[in-house]
This record gives sequence, structure tokens and C-alpha cells, in this order.
Amino acid sequence: MKRLIELCVNGEVYELAVEANTTLAEVLRDQIGLTGTKVSCGTGECGTCTVLMDGRPILSCLALAVDCQKQSILTIEGLSVGEKLTPVQKAFHEYGAIQCGFCTPGMVLSTTALLEANSQPSMQEIRKALEGHLCRCTGYNKIIEAVQQAAEQMTPKAK
Amino acid sequence: MHLPKFEHLYPASLKEAARLLKKHGANARLAAGGTDLFARMKYGLAQPEVVISLKGLSVDFPAVIKGGELHLNALMPLADVAHTAEIRERAPLLAEASMSVGSNQIRQMGTLGGNICLENRCSYYNQSHTFQFIEPCFKRKGSLCYLIPKGKKCVAVFQADTVPALICLDAEVEIIAADNSRQLLLEKLYTGDALKPLALSQDEIVGKVIIPQPEPVRGTAFSKFSLRGGVEFAALTVAVRLDVADKGENCYAARITVGAISAKPVRALKAEKTMVGEALSDKLFHEIAGMVASEIHPVMHHGYSIPFLKECLKTQTYRTLVRGAERTGRYGKK
Amino acid sequence: MSANEKDPQRLAYIGKRIPRKDGPEKVTGRAKYTGDIHLPGMLTGRILRSPHPHAWILNVDTSRAERLKGVHAVITARDTAGRKHGFVETPRYPPDQNPLATDRVRYVGEEVAAVAATDHYIAQEALSLIRVDYEPLPAVFDPEEAMQPGASEIHPTHPKVKEPLVNIAGKTESEWGNVEDGFKRSDYVREDRFDSHLRTHGYLEPQITLASFEPAGKLNIWTSSMGPFLKRAKLARTLDLPLSAVRVQKAWVGGAFGGKIDLFSHEFCAALLSMKSGRPVKIEASREEIFAAYRHGQPLIVEVKTGVKKDGTLVAQQFRVINNCGAFRGSGVVVIFLVWGFIMVPYRLPHLKYEGYAVYTNNPVRAPQRGHGAPQLRFAVDSQLDMIAEELGLDPIEIRLKNARKPGDALPNGDNVHNCGLRECIEKTAERTGFQKKYGQNRPAAPLNCSKRRGIGIGVSSFMTGSLIYPSSSSAMVKMNDDGSVTLLTGALDIGQGAETIQSQIVAEELKIPVEEIQVIAADTETTPVDIGSWISGNVYVTGNATRVASTEVRKKLLDMAAEEMGANVMDLALGDKCVYVAGSPERKLSYRQLVAASIRKHRGDSIIGEGHWRAMRDEPYHPSLATTRGRWSENYAFDAQVAEVEVDIDTGQVRLIRAVTAHDCGFPINPLLVEGQVDGQVSMALGHALMEEVLMEEGRTLNPSWLEYRMPTIHEVAASESIEVITEQYKMDAPYRTKEVGEGLVSALLAAIANAIYNAVGVRLFSTPFTPEKILRGLGRIK
Repeated sequence: MKRLIELCVNGEVYELAVEANTTLAEVLRDQIGLTGTKVSCGTGECGTCTVLMDGRPILSCLALAVDCQKQSILTIEGLSVGEKLTPVQKAFHEYGAIQCGFCTPGMVLSTTALLEANSQPSMQEIRKALEGHLCRCTGYNKIIEAVQQAAEQMTPKAK
Repeated sequence: MHLPKFEHLYPASLKEAARLLKKHGANARLAAGGTDLFARMKYGLAQPEVVISLKGLSVDFPAVIKGGELHLNALMPLADVAHTAEIRERAPLLAEASMSVGSNQIRQMGTLGGNICLENRCSYYNQSHTFQFIEPCFKRKGSLCYLIPKGKKCVAVFQADTVPALICLDAEVEIIAADNSRQLLLEKLYTGDALKPLALSQDEIVGKVIIPQPEPVRGTAFSKFSLRGGVEFAALTVAVRLDVADKGENCYAARITVGAISAKPVRALKAEKTMVGEALSDKLFHEIAGMVASEIHPVMHHGYSIPFLKECLKTQTYRTLVRGAERTGRYGKK
Repeated sequence: MSANEKDPQRLAYIGKRIPRKDGPEKVTGRAKYTGDIHLPGMLTGRILRSPHPHAWILNVDTSRAERLKGVHAVITARDTAGRKHGFVETPRYPPDQNPLATDRVRYVGEEVAAVAATDHYIAQEALSLIRVDYEPLPAVFDPEEAMQPGASEIHPTHPKVKEPLVNIAGKTESEWGNVEDGFKRSDYVREDRFDSHLRTHGYLEPQITLASFEPAGKLNIWTSSMGPFLKRAKLARTLDLPLSAVRVQKAWVGGAFGGKIDLFSHEFCAALLSMKSGRPVKIEASREEIFAAYRHGQPLIVEVKTGVKKDGTLVAQQFRVINNCGAFRGSGVVVIFLVWGFIMVPYRLPHLKYEGYAVYTNNPVRAPQRGHGAPQLRFAVDSQLDMIAEELGLDPIEIRLKNARKPGDALPNGDNVHNCGLRECIEKTAERTGFQKKYGQNRPAAPLNCSKRRGIGIGVSSFMTGSLIYPSSSSAMVKMNDDGSVTLLTGALDIGQGAETIQSQIVAEELKIPVEEIQVIAADTETTPVDIGSWISGNVYVTGNATRVASTEVRKKLLDMAAEEMGANVMDLALGDKCVYVAGSPERKLSYRQLVAASIRKHRGDSIIGEGHWRAMRDEPYHPSLATTRGRWSENYAFDAQVAEVEVDIDTGQVRLIRAVTAHDCGFPINPLLVEGQVDGQVSMALGHALMEEVLMEEGRTLNPSWLEYRMPTIHEVAASESIEVITEQYKMDAPYRTKEVGEGLVSALLAAIANAIYNAVGVRLFSTPFTPEKILRGLGRIK
């Protein structure tokens, strides 16, 4: 029996009819039509489906849609406004951290959360923040470079 | 992978949750972070008709009680456990262990209670059985073991990282049931029976974790061996706690708990006893590591053989003892 | 050639570090992959798989499934046209696999039936209602066992194989010189055996296909692939549709690495289910299905006997290679040919005798995986070469320089290595890493009572650039639009390697238009011209030259039109800023927009379109014989040397790759940023294969079919990766160029380098991959 819920995604409120067993990933992709969130395993093992929930990176494939009411969800589509990329997105693009792009949305969101909480992360902190994201194309080298470059962009410069 | 259908209930308190568990019996499962249960449901390993969600319940701990006890709400996300100041200060071993669980996302969603109640795991068990290993093994209520073909019992291992740390800290848990509650040494929660790893009845929920006040001169360390630096479950974990006399280097209490290599975490009791009264020294640590490796018998799991695990156990124990000793401030690098 | 374009140094777009065109789309979530496409009325398809490694199918009863509410179509082999397909389809190796099993299943996971239903729950339930009666047959999983007379026969041995061996899918034999003579004249001879294990691609985007059959007879397909034209051809044939009735359209692809080339059952099933139900059908394989039933890389056994002179010069080599093909031929017969090629190219070798066997076993079919045999072969050859060097008192660098091919070397098959930069690659990696100083010095990373030991090792590899596999050629069209902008139509598919960006750079250079302003229409069998595909390392070379030709045709038309309009001499004209101007008097110019209008007006509507075509191996009719290796193979070969610095923990056996330095002769890099990305990615893949990845199988079943248990490197395992370009070719405007591949060869040398580095660090020589902690500890005597 479907339940009526309200989800706040990228600042917009959506009213949706969902079953209890519908995951957040399914609702985002199939009902709302935000296909930027990708699914690579569905069992929480690769980080591809990561979205931010009240600023925390979570696995949308293991979150029930009905459990996500009253929270603010941010997907990759909600990051940039029009053509203007955020510093994290820009850094990923310019430093070659994108190849096939499938891991990119999740990776970018986790990076965004990291840098918002900690604008000068150490290498270990970067690793711990991104350890749950698998990437097969880049070897992570340019991703690390992009994260560090974005951090530099986002750190307020001493006057 | 898709979740099967289920009825979803939102109790307003743990007591209510326990009552619902009692009411629905074996058809019901508790969901906190969902990172273990929902993955298992997608693999077809759990098919509850009713899921009782603890998501709506508030989490406003930790509290530091008189006498310096640390009371932790079992619903605390692991990321919070790792980063909360009081926990880092009073139970750094737990903070360290929590940081090694899964990935950042798992730590943001997964709870301390969930980790404590993690289901046991085995390669042959933790997959769907649509076209492979269809004949059910012991853990799937069948009558065979794939890992040990002539085996007579299930050998699925308990791989939660926080538990060896909590055992070393002599942690207790408060368990809420429909009609009562009880407090129990966490170590006693584990049965060693891979088919029913937790000594909990159907309506019991781990509500609170209580960590006694730490001794004044204490050093702890946690290590997890896996092929990769993150994400995976452990090949083996070792947690160590050393309490040293205030003016000296003699250890008066030691805990060494090994995880992931058997159906429940195991304390190396002989080794612990041997440490009491001894001065901390490199020679001692080597000796103790050897004792632990002969006292504890790993089960092979997830591609790791017994000879490898035994050797790994010796090395990890030694290294963890050294780090724990260094953190007492009475050994090695000051 | 106009005035200021004569200088080849003045390249504006080629050779520049330009971020990908598709970057913004991917980083904002707008890029559509096959799973993101929704069509009205779309059904979910699922596949029923065999639980037996080998069994007769006595009966398949789908009646209960068909009656289930919500099920729109059910198919088995009975519903198909009975056409087989195969990775290789030649007279010697005809297609051998049915998309759905007919009377027999030969591996766990083989496809037996498929359903399309309104949602995945109903589809899954429908599968459980299909009843299949099996009669199990004896199964064999190890190729050496499978070859022996008396083994359970999976398919008859190939008729051209005369030995009394069973389950031989194919054999490759080749020799030159006289090895027996060679061994007699050698100062030192040794024989070794190397075993490579089963590992897999690990693409993040699952295998997925959306098929929509229109009532008028057109089949539309979106599928995660490595090139739409091969898919179209195979789908058309197996479905018994005319080629023109099948349209394979572009969707972005989330990685492939060789695992998405030829026809997959789920693609066929999605199409047939759509044809039967009249609705679009999407089939997505679960991650478990991908690990347990789909195609992985090729486990190889390499037995090699080598004779050398005491100064290290190679004299003779004899090889016996056994490839565990899986239950059908797959690309098994290609690998045993390629392995021969990977032996032939890097080192000079006067005498060779080569035998390769592709052997059937009751395992899922194997597929090309990045390197396609090169990593495994180079592991064997370069490990042994180090052992030989040690025996002779030479160092690994000297022995390789002694034997490395030189520019202009003719190869025994009639090809030429042209501007081979292998020696320079070896020298540069050695220099960059201080190899000779570090080698042989058992260097602990820290004070002596520390358990870490460092080691250094080198490997080399070579890879062909484009060869003749269907469709063997690429065509491109460049058209001007009336506002002076440009559209490139190319059949090339971007699977992550940057195909669209590379092709745009070529157009940009020829027409002096910024890359961002080039519109690309790609990878649609209906609207874009044919393309060689993204698996044969031909994107830059074959497609690139086609694009170049098309662009130069457009440039010529623009220049001629401008000359006509301005009354100038073509030789005095230059391009820039989307204008053609007179060099020296830049105020005399005409914009592209004006030139297009003029062309339409004065040349009977000619809106300025250019077309270009290129074929790998332009003068050869066919690919060389897979069985005899005779025939020309590739017009150009890429070379590389890779040095690995590892750290071994002697108490845990764990190995870390600290640093990888790759020197590659990839011709010239069209986009160095993308090339670096390819290098980094391959270093990561190589270290995964070397140290932690393994598909664990037992009696045909996969024990670790999940991301959690198939241990692909995470961000914790990153090695410092440095890339040195050895540039041996030139990009000349308006002239064909020979650029080389960069997407596969660089995963191939590192495995050997790591093996050699481990030996250098701790004295443990490993003859099988992966180099697990357990193997290291056994080698050190820490475990019995």
C-alpha cells in the first residue's frame, strides 16, 4: 500500500506516493527524474549512489524514501546553478578527474561535504572521506589533485 | 537489487519498538541505519514481513555520568562516535575502532548498536542464491556448510569492528525488552554460535552502551588487517588495552580481544593474565603475541587461510601492543 | 599549406591539456547513461540462469510464468532464430554461442530464458515460475585437466588440431628460425612456468540495455558498449533483422575496459522481448550477475624456455601457452594470437617457437580485458628476463637495452616498428627513478629493525595500434553550419577515454575553431558514419585520421571559396577566429559564415561538408591468421617501459605500490591531460591485479561476486604515478599521422615490474598472480 510522503530535494518539495521498500535512489531516479544519482551495486558497497542528507554523505540505495522526510537532500543536480559550476565541480573538470563519469556525482558530493566541514583537509582526511567511492578509470590520482585544488579555491585567503 | 515488500512501523520509543518486536515475533526485524539489514534483504538473506524502524527516535547522548561513566545511545551514528570529544577523550579505543568501519557514508548512516548487532558473515552466505549455492547451508536453515564441506556447524564469522574495542573497555549494554530491561557485560552478548550470534531474545533491543571510567594511566590501540585500506570487513582485528601503575611501567590490567576470525570476538585470556605485573617491554610484546597466536584458533574466511591468519594475528597483536603501550606514556616514544 | 601553418610547432589545440568536452555534463549529472533513459511503457526484463556448470536441458516449461499477471513476454531458445554468434566469426572459428541455451548449459550463469514484466518483482517471480529440467553432466574447470583425453567434452576439439587433446577451442602456432639450434648455441638456458589468475574489468556502470521495437519494424537500442556498429551487426544477424532495421544509439558509457564489446545475451533478450511484447524493455544485470556470470579476463598459463648469450642477448625462446577460455570460444583464440604478438614486438628474438592453446572449461566465457593477454605474457617474459640477468650478473636495465627493438626494425611478420621509442622509454624510466642505484641494495624504508623493505623493478610492453577487426575502418563527416559553426559526425563512442574530446581537438586544429564550439553527434548507427570501435586502440589513429581528412576537406573548401571571393591566392590565406584572412593584411577577411553563404550561392547549394575515411592496415585485406599468425598486423606499435617501486611488509606480507613511472612512446599525445589519466588508471588497474584483485571460483561458481569482496583498489591504494612522454611521431597539419595507442599497453608492463620489484625487495620470486600477502609470507618461510 503506497504512502504519501514529502521529500525536500535540491530545495524543492516533492509530494510522492511510495511503497515502504522504495529506496531514495529509486525515487530520485524513477519518480522525480533526477538521474544524476547513479547506481552501481545497490547494496552500499561502492559509493556511487551517494547524496547529501542534511550535509551528510549517505548511500541512497540503502535509504528508504519514507525515512528521508523532514530532511534536506542534495543531489548532484542541486549543486550548480545553471552553467556555473561550484569550485569542486570546476576542479574535477579542469584537473582531469572525470573520465567515464559514473563515479563522479557521488565523488563530487562527498568532496563538497568534506570541504564544507573542513576547508584544509589532510591527505588522510581526504582518503577517509572518499574511501567509500570506487573509481576504475582515474586511479584516484587526479581526483586527489582536484580535491586539493578545490580546497585551495575554497579557503579564504589571508588578507 | 531491490528490497522485498514489507510493512514499515515507526515506534516512538525503544519500549514501543520492543513491544512491536514481541508482537510480530520472528517476522519482524529492527532497522536503525539500515546498512546491514537492507543490504541483507536485497541479497535475500532476510525477508521480514515487518520492519521496525528506529529512525524516528532521538539521539542526544553521550552523557558523562558521575563517576566518569560514558553512556552512549546505541543509535549514535558511527561517524559521531568517532568524532565526539568526550568519546575521543575517555574511550579513544572506541573512537579509533569506529573510524575503521566501512566507509564515511556507512559511518554516517550506520549506528553503534547496529555494529554491535552485526550479523555474522561468510562468502557463500552473503550473496543471492538465485543460481549459485542454491542448496541452503546451515545459516540459511539448511544442512550443509560450503566452506567446510564435511563441517557439522556454521562457521560464519563476526566482523564488527567496534565490538573488540568495547570488550576491551569492559563495556556493558542496557537491553530493553517489551516488559523489562537488563544490563549485561557486552562480552556476554555473543554466543559463539554462528547461527544465532547474539544472546538476545526476539523482543530485545540494545539501547545503551555504558563504558566505565577509564583508569588513569591507560593506553589503547586498535588494528584492523584487510587487503585494502578501507571499505572492507576485516581479515582480523585486534584491540588492546593496557593499564599501567601510576608510578611505573608495570601493567596491572590488560585486555586483548581479537575479532573477525571466529563466530564471536575472543579474548586472549591466558595472554592477558600473563601481562599482569609485567613491565612493558618489546620482549614481552613478542612473547604475548606468540601466546595469543597459539591461544586463539582462527577460522578461515573470505579467502584468508588459517596459517595466514595465525601469522597475521601474531604480527598484528605485537604491533597493537606496542602502540597501546606507547599511548600509556610509559613506554617507548614519550 | 598556407603561410603561417607551415610551422608544426604552432599547434593551437593538438597537444594541449584541454579538459573534456563532456566534463560539465558529467559533473552536473546531466549526462545520460543507458539506465537514465525512460521510455513510456517500459518493461523490466530479467534473465534465468543455469545453476549447473554442465548439464543437458531436458525441458523448459514457461507456461506458469507466462500466465503471471504483469508478465508481457517470456522467451527461450525456441523463440529465437537459432543464429549463433561469437567474438570471432571466421571460417576457421565460426560463431559458437546461442544467446539463449538450446539443449545444453555449459557454465553456471548461462542464460536459459528471459522475461519482461511491468516491474522487477513480477519479473523475478516469473523467473521462479519457469521450470527447467536439467540432467547434470560431468564438469571440468581446470584447463590442463580439460585438455586431457577422457575429460568431459564441452565442445569437440577444433578439427584443425591434430593432437589427441580434448576441449581445444583453437590453437595458434608460429615459429621463425630454429629454436633447437638456438638453444644449443646459447650460453644459458632456463625454463619457467607462470600462472595468471582470473581477474575482471570492474566497470562502475553495470551491463544494461534498453530495447524498443517499433511496430513499423525498427529496433532502437541503447546499450552500454564499446562501439555501436559491432552491436548492430550482431543483433541484426541473431535476430534475423536487416541491418537497416537496427539502430544503436548513443548513451554515455560508465567504463568498459574490454568487457562490453561483442554481443551479450541480455542485449539480444531485451530486443527480442521488446519485439514480442511490443513495449520497450530494459534489462540491467545486477552486480552479482556481472561478477558471477559475465565475462572476465583470461587466466593464462605461460611456459617459457629461453636461451641467451652470456652478454644477455636473447637467442631463442620456446613458448607453450594455455588459455582458460571458458565454455565458449569467446576471445580465447584471439588471446593466443595476441600473446604471440606481445612476444614478438618488444625484444629482438632470432628464434621462436610458439604454441598457444585456447581450452574450453565449464566456466563463464572470458572476454578481452585491457591488455588482452599482454599483462600476463609480459609478467612471464620480464620476470624470467630478470632471473636471467641475475644469473649472468647483469642488471635489468642493461639486459633490456641489449634486446630492445630499435627504430626501423623489421618484425618477423613483415610489419615494421617505425619510430620505436622503446630504448628511450627504458632509459628514461631508469633515469627518473635512479634505478641502477637503488637496484640490488635491499633497501629498508626505515631503520633496520623496521619490517618494511623497498624494492624496484622494471617491465616493458608493446601494443598494436588498430588492426583489422570488424568494422575495421572509421569514417567521419564535418559539416559547416550557416552561422559558421561546425558539427562533427562520428561513430566513435566515448567510453571514458575521451573520444569526443580528442576528435574535436583534431577538427579544432584543422579549422582553428575552439574545441567548445564544435558540436559532436556521435555513436548512432543511423546518423553517424561507421566507426572502428573503442576497443582495438584505434580511436586516435583510425578515427582520428578520418576526422582529420574530413576536416582538411572542409578547410580546403573554405580556403578555395575565400580565394575566389577575395581574389587572393590560396597560398596567402590563413585561418583564425572563424575567419579566413590574408596573411599580412588581416583586415582582408571573410568569416566562415560569409563563406558558407557564398558557397551556397555560388556553388549550387554546396553548404561545405567534408568526409574522411581511414582503415587500419590500408593495404592489407585481412587481419593476420589467428592460427598461423601469418599476415601483416598493425601499421604502428606503441611501446612503454614501467618501473615500479614497492614496499613490502615482511611481517604481514603486504605489498604497497609506492610509485610507478611510465615512459610511453604513444606517438604524440593529442591531449596530454587525457593521456596522464589513462596512465594513472592503468597503474591502478595493474596494481589491483598484481596485489589484491581475484575472482575466486570453485567448481564454476564465484565466491566473491560483490564490490566488497572483489578487492579493487580504493583511494587508499593510490600509487604516485608519473608519466614520461617519448615523442616519436609528429602531428603535421593536413598530413596523415601515425599516433599510437595509449589505452591498453600501459597496464601491461607494470605487472612484471611489480613482480621484479618484490623480488628486489625481499628475494621472493613469484610465479603466479596475484602477489598476495600469503604468498609473500610463504616465500619468506613465515608460513609453511
